[in-house]
Amino acid sequence: MQLARVIGTVVATVKSPGLEGIKFLIIQPLDRQQRPSGGQLVAADAIHMAGPGELVYFVAAREAAQALPDTFVPVDHAIVGIVDAVATLSGDEQ
Amino acid sequence: MKLGRVVGTVVSTINSPAFDDRTLLLCDLLDPQGRPAGGYLIAVDTVGAGAGETVLILDEGNSARQIIGVSGAPIRTLVVGIVDEVIVGGTNALAPAPVVAGASRGRRRRDLWGSPRDGSSEPSSTSGSGES
Repeated sequence: MQLARVIGTVVATVKSPGLEGIKFLIIQPLDRQQRPSGGQLVAADAIHMAGPGELVYFVAAREAAQALPDTFVPVDHAIVGIVDAVATLSGDEQ
Repeated sequence: MKLGRVVGTVVSTINSPAFDDRTLLLCDLLDPQGRPAGGYLIAVDTVGAGAGETVLILDEGNSARQIIGVSGAPIRTLVVGIVDEVIVGGTNALAPAPVVAGASRGRRRRDLWGSPRDGSSEPSSTSGSGES
């Protein structure tokens, strides 16, 4: 799992069966210092509560679909939590 | 399996139910020499690791779910061990810097959260038991 910032939303009306009602967000993965790191991704919102601007953590690969109600869906990134705080050895970072 | 160093924790109240009551550790990935290899992972703790400790990270979903015993959980990355030594070329890559260097020891060991496990700052727990 890694940290990411939600930067946008994706709306799709025609979707693969099983994805109805699932919100898709655009996320920017972050490094440990919360700087952008790597390309932006579309991730399913498994917690239904994330929104643009929020710091979240996401899971990749097969485990992403496991976070959704229907686990046999074509999803490879899913947001699984909203970050309240990141506490590090060098001090709080959020 | 990967080597990592716990550098912090991630706190979250709104999360997938599988993460309820679990500790998320922010771990820098290390190379076999104990140096940061670039990159990090957020891993679910299963061993009670604390900040500053070198740990063994499992990053494979089926094994991870088997260990936590929840088959449908969206969990893939676990901290599954606390590393004492990594011997590469006959030397312990995780040994603290030579004492001659002075002050900055303890940086490797957790000194922010948790209690020392290796007895570096307290006597062995075996002494004192069974005495009257």
